[in-house]
Amino acid sequence: MTLVAENLVKTFPGVRALDGATLRLAAGSVHALLGENGAGKSTLIKILTGVHRPDGGKIVLGGAELHLNGPLDAQHAGIGVVHQERNLIPGFSIAENIVLHHLPRRFGLVDRARMRAEARRCLGLLDLDLDPDTPVSRLSVAQAQLVEIAKALSVDSKVLLLDEPTASLTGDEADRLYGIVRRLRDDGQAVVLVSHKLEEVFAVADTVTVLRDGRSVAEARPLAGYTQDQVVDLMVGRAYSSVRLADRHVDLRAAPALRLDGVSTARGHRDISLSVRPGEILGLYGLVGAGRSELAKALLGLDRITAGTVEVRGRPVRIRDVGDALRRHRIGYVTENRKEEGLFLDQPITRNVGVTVWRRMARAGLVTDRAERRLVAGYTDRLGIRISSPSQLAGLLSGGNQQKVSLAKWLAADCEILIVDEPTVGIDVRTKAAFHELIAELAGTGLALLLISSDLPEIVTLADRIAVMNDFTLRGELVNDHDYARMSQAIIRLIHMGSRPAGDETA
Amino acid sequence: MSTGTTTAGRTGSGGRFGRVTVRPEFTLAVLAVAGFVALAVATDGNLLTRGTLDAFFRFLAVPIVIGLAQMVVLAIGQMNLSVGTLTGLCAMVAAWLMLEAGLPAPLAVLAALGVGLAAGLVNGLLVVITRINGFVVTLATMTIIEGLRYGVNGPDTFQGYSQGLRDLGTASVLGLPVVFVFALAVAALVALFFGRTVAGRQLLATGGSPFAARLSGVSNDRSIVIAHGLSGLLAGVAAVITVAASGSVNSSIGDDLMLPSFAAPIIGGVALTGGVVSVAGTCLAAFLVRLVDVMQAQFDINPRWIDLIVGAVVLGAVLLGTVRQKLSKGSP
Repeated sequence: MTLVAENLVKTFPGVRALDGATLRLAAGSVHALLGENGAGKSTLIKILTGVHRPDGGKIVLGGAELHLNGPLDAQHAGIGVVHQERNLIPGFSIAENIVLHHLPRRFGLVDRARMRAEARRCLGLLDLDLDPDTPVSRLSVAQAQLVEIAKALSVDSKVLLLDEPTASLTGDEADRLYGIVRRLRDDGQAVVLVSHKLEEVFAVADTVTVLRDGRSVAEARPLAGYTQDQVVDLMVGRAYSSVRLADRHVDLRAAPALRLDGVSTARGHRDISLSVRPGEILGLYGLVGAGRSELAKALLGLDRITAGTVEVRGRPVRIRDVGDALRRHRIGYVTENRKEEGLFLDQPITRNVGVTVWRRMARAGLVTDRAERRLVAGYTDRLGIRISSPSQLAGLLSGGNQQKVSLAKWLAADCEILIVDEPTVGIDVRTKAAFHELIAELAGTGLALLLISSDLPEIVTLADRIAVMNDFTLRGELVNDHDYARMSQAIIRLIHMGSRPAGDETA
Repeated sequence: MSTGTTTAGRTGSGGRFGRVTVRPEFTLAVLAVAGFVALAVATDGNLLTRGTLDAFFRFLAVPIVIGLAQMVVLAIGQMNLSVGTLTGLCAMVAAWLMLEAGLPAPLAVLAALGVGLAAGLVNGLLVVITRINGFVVTLATMTIIEGLRYGVNGPDTFQGYSQGLRDLGTASVLGLPVVFVFALAVAALVALFFGRTVAGRQLLATGGSPFAARLSGVSNDRSIVIAHGLSGLLAGVAAVITVAASGSVNSSIGDDLMLPSFAAPIIGGVALTGGVVSVAGTCLAAFLVRLVDVMQAQFDINPRWIDLIVGAVVLGAVLLGTVRQKLSKGSP
């Protein structure tokens, strides 16, 4: 065994991200690390690369126990990583990027000749014929991806971690990348592959570890012993004690409040069709980067819709900007990124809630603090927002209360259609349950809700129907029967299984 | 309030008095009073003689207004480097209209305000249309305005314009110079703008978080144009005060206003990143800078030292702001 990470435990406030996960890697093999969103894959990778320190368990590399105090330690130990998001500096050359962390120096100055030579060596390992002096900004996505791998190899790695390496690659580019992965394996590297594309995993990986709820439910098993279905079962097959919310009645004959028909966007969505009725919650599930928030933003007029029709309350509309969406069409958007996009952290709660309705509140052009406080008082009661005073700064609230403030501003604006994006990310379990009840309650009052979430239990608990998005297209739509085991498997199958057109799988 | 931090005050855990004392404006007010008393004592009461006191407040008017002109742009997280030269241009235009074009003073005053507003709107539109950073845009327009200002009358000085306007510049009401009272009135209007009007609040929303503002239906472009336009208008106001109070103008007027325009809001607790303004803080800080000025005159200190002191105080204030922010973030 090259690397053994045993019984890793990692707790974040409110979440036990890893609860005794074990990963065993052998030299000269490709090891798949699988699990659904939130199973603990990224936490495990961050521990192996020294970003996080484990609360329990140990890491043994080549027989010696390893204590990683930072990413640099991991590099020195020979653990290279290519993260899901790009980590190259666009203005620098390929060579500069590859040796960024250990620039060769001579007389205190950068030794450019040695830098180029080192870069050529790393590129050579991958059979890449690129000029080391080319700026990274001139490379294609696939080339940049390969340069990142070259960079990971430059630290003389024994272990190479690849996190969703093909997320932004085309089929051919992915094939080429996996060709290189096989070669690295044959040269004796231990490669860890995290990917949600099961076909690719089965084509390239030798062994597999499956994480579920922070635990490894399959440890370093030969992949050949499993079918894709069995792996999916392992990933989601947990006894989830779902909160049964009170039944809501959705009038199925009601005309949709929001309907999309064959919508394509400048961001790359193709042929999106969905509809939400008043009082209904449509869940929009997908992995991070599937294009869900981007679709919401296009609906608000922040991105161009290039084809198809959007209908609000039965009438085809063209939404120019958020103001238009809000004031004319009564569409609100509770962003997933509440700290940066949802709140004014340095401003009082009153202003955070009032921002959408100042125009309506103004008397003779002036907005009084008293009117604003009255408005806020109504929502703090209704949503159960815990604040010490309405003039408290939003930045000083807890995550759950911040999210409620972010929600209150849309309710204040009398929205009839609400897009709620990852409402409970980073919120502790108890507040989460309360938030779910709140969302169901809002739907009960006749609001049409589009719930974007990567949290399977959340979607299965709340949604009436579930649309599954992957790679900027809808893969299918399911009627939710709130049976967690059945729904979660159906959803995961829609995402992980091949690339059949959406229509085939509509339940 | 033993833990007299900003955070405690803002969460409202302290009493009403506690809330007042932890505000940065309170510190500034204490400093201002203490500094004033100390200077009065140190000059054997000379500061309190009628003439000195009158001059003190008369020449406080422009620093207050020019500080506010910078503050409205800082509110959206940008800067306006052209406020100083724009003040000069507006003053030159007003004087030229009265002396050369023979316009009555009220019309010349309106024209000066119009030029300021127009130049500010141009700044704002340039930022919005070109998407170039406001710092660079106003750096360029500053230089252009400098040329225009010189073009009005070359190196010559305008003097002997409207007696009425000059009288107003030296007149007093309730023992205070009219121009100073006027500046305070302008400050009150600016405070009303940010506290009560939709546009003012939207400006702060844009400055606080352009992303959140956009997603809340606020037009950031509109905020940028309004902020720069208002900044230009306030530079016009400062020009009118200058024309009235100084009795003569030439093409170098406004050159020494850049540092004071930043000094007042920054010492006054306005966030450089935008979203937080303080009209009272800006006025108090202008008062403090004015104290330093008078100290220089009273004690015959080399003027170079004054720039050094003001510069150091600005740096210190920024540093203090950063520390304060860290403290309030560290204790959620």
